[in-house]
Amino acid sequence: MMSLSDTATPRTATSPDWDLFRRRGKSILVHCIVLGLVAIMLLPLVYMVMMSFKTSTEIAQDPLGLPDSLYWGNYMAALSSMGYVRSVLNSMGITISVIVVVVFSGAMAAYPLARLQNRISRVIVMVMALGLATPNFVTITPIYVIFRDLGLLDSYLGIVLAFAALKLPLAVFFYTSFIAAIPIELEEAARLDNCNNWQIFWHVIRPLLAPVTATLSLFVMIMVWNDFIYPLLLLTDKDKLTVMIAVYKFVGNTGIDPTKLFPAAVLGSLPLLLMFAVFQRKIMAGATAGAVK
Amino acid sequence: MAELALTNAIKRYGATQVIHGVDLQVDDGDFCVFVGPSGCGKSTLLRMIAGLEETSDGRMTIGGRDVTHADPARRGVAMVFQTYALYPHMTVRENMSFGLKIGGTEKSEITRKVDAAAQILKLQDYMDRKPKALSGGQRQRVAIGRAIVRQPDVFLFDEPLSNLDAELRVEMRVEIAKLHKQLGATMIYVTHDQVEAMTMADKIVVLRDGRIEQAGAPVTLYEDPDNLFVAGFIGSPRMNFFDGTVTRVEAGRAHVSLPRLGGVEVPVAVTEVPGEGQAVKLGLRPEHFEPDGGIRAELTIDVIENLGGVSYAYSSSDADDHPVIVELRGKSRPNEGGRLAVGFDPSSALLFDSETGRRIR
Repeated sequence: MMSLSDTATPRTATSPDWDLFRRRGKSILVHCIVLGLVAIMLLPLVYMVMMSFKTSTEIAQDPLGLPDSLYWGNYMAALSSMGYVRSVLNSMGITISVIVVVVFSGAMAAYPLARLQNRISRVIVMVMALGLATPNFVTITPIYVIFRDLGLLDSYLGIVLAFAALKLPLAVFFYTSFIAAIPIELEEAARLDNCNNWQIFWHVIRPLLAPVTATLSLFVMIMVWNDFIYPLLLLTDKDKLTVMIAVYKFVGNTGIDPTKLFPAAVLGSLPLLLMFAVFQRKIMAGATAGAVK
Repeated sequence: MAELALTNAIKRYGATQVIHGVDLQVDDGDFCVFVGPSGCGKSTLLRMIAGLEETSDGRMTIGGRDVTHADPARRGVAMVFQTYALYPHMTVRENMSFGLKIGGTEKSEITRKVDAAAQILKLQDYMDRKPKALSGGQRQRVAIGRAIVRQPDVFLFDEPLSNLDAELRVEMRVEIAKLHKQLGATMIYVTHDQVEAMTMADKIVVLRDGRIEQAGAPVTLYEDPDNLFVAGFIGSPRMNFFDGTVTRVEAGRAHVSLPRLGGVEVPVAVTEVPGEGQAVKLGLRPEHFEPDGGIRAELTIDVIENLGGVSYAYSSSDADDHPVIVELRGKSRPNEGGRLAVGFDPSSALLFDSETGRRIR
């Protein structure tokens, strides 16, 4: 008679060292892939920074090489000729205004759309989704014509309204899905607590939107700060130009001036990178909010 | 505190009617429990009382005031939700004081009321915490505290303990019962838990398909159900039903033959006389089986459930969907697969019309 141990097939022995080696090898491979992807993404940024420190001779002789030394003269020249502080303030003012308008109007529009289950609200949500899918270039001409007729060209109000209108579908999309996930019982409890619709929105719904608002604000900030077409189209007064248009000054009709263009591009991106670095933790918390209970 | 009255209350969603003309009176200070299977309309009825669902037709009064179409906040009700529905961004104190703040109550008054409620519910140590930092039981206490501070005429509870574990549920059940005694408030409580209903209620309302099947004291519903549904729904384990035929009626007794119990004939006292040959169901609770009962039969036991102090023997049959359940006390237990001699007193048996389900008294 066979015993149980006789019939059992012995397992292939794997030494602890081999397991450790496999785990480490896998980890190194994953890290290498991640580092490779990071390098690909950082390459344009590194190239821009590198170019910004080169003299015109270095750029002409070796456009891909490292600078011999950090030449700050390019930055001085760019700063003096692009109206940096003014353009950064313009960009910041426009970006913040757009964020405020988009956040408030988006959240207020999304609240009823998330809660009402009728045909009209479904049609509105569809129209908003259409707005998300519409390429920017399609809306350029109508916006220009409308704003010209309304006398909103070359005004801060005009550019803020244009961006707000363009980014509103994104905000409604973000907020609608987020609000739909908020338990309806919270609103019912508030209704029993004597709240009207506005009070429910303001005291109960709005505070719960903080994480998604942080994420939305980041997206809107990046899109508005980096947008080139609309400020170019709607703003002509040099005192109202955004930083991206100010950078574009160094692209001429016959060619570019790399000794000024690259430092100007670095300077133009700097405030955005700084803001992202400062608010990164909050933004990432918002992006992942609701992923786990 | 106040009484609640519903007169022919109806709820429709479009063409679908879900509450069919409910008439109900809940007296001042009563603890009334709505029970019924899923989809019977108990939560809908509670939400109609809260004003969270519009009453399509009929009348509703609280303390004599017509509140049929009044706003939820103007009805004098407070509700405790199954999911607690605490505002996650507010502390316990803010949660409890929110309704009063919105209502424009003075700060000192809010503080006094909130502190008093916190003391009743032993929440003083948690007042500055947010809901996420509380356990399930503590959250439920905060939800109850939020209701207390509003000093409503009627408290409404929508399955408030169903999200808690078994031990905490028992603890909170006792707490709510104590609270009812302490406040003397009218409370309406929705549950599907038999034990909650039987232990807490002054009055149980059994609902089915949007209609009240029977309303009354727990013991009345248990001992004297109006129909098959109530008899089967109230009590755990459920009542046994045996198909039978009335063989003869004499001297105020209907003699019912039960094929499932080997054709024994059971004389059941009746005041309304059923027809001879009429198909009936005889109801017998598991605890009504006793070894020395007047009517004797034998059952084959499939399964024994031993709960410690008491055991339940299950006897299945191909002819019946439900097994016969027999409560066993004492130390001797039959073997699974063995035969069990059972007896019962005919006076504990209830008779129902097989066709309509109505009780034959």
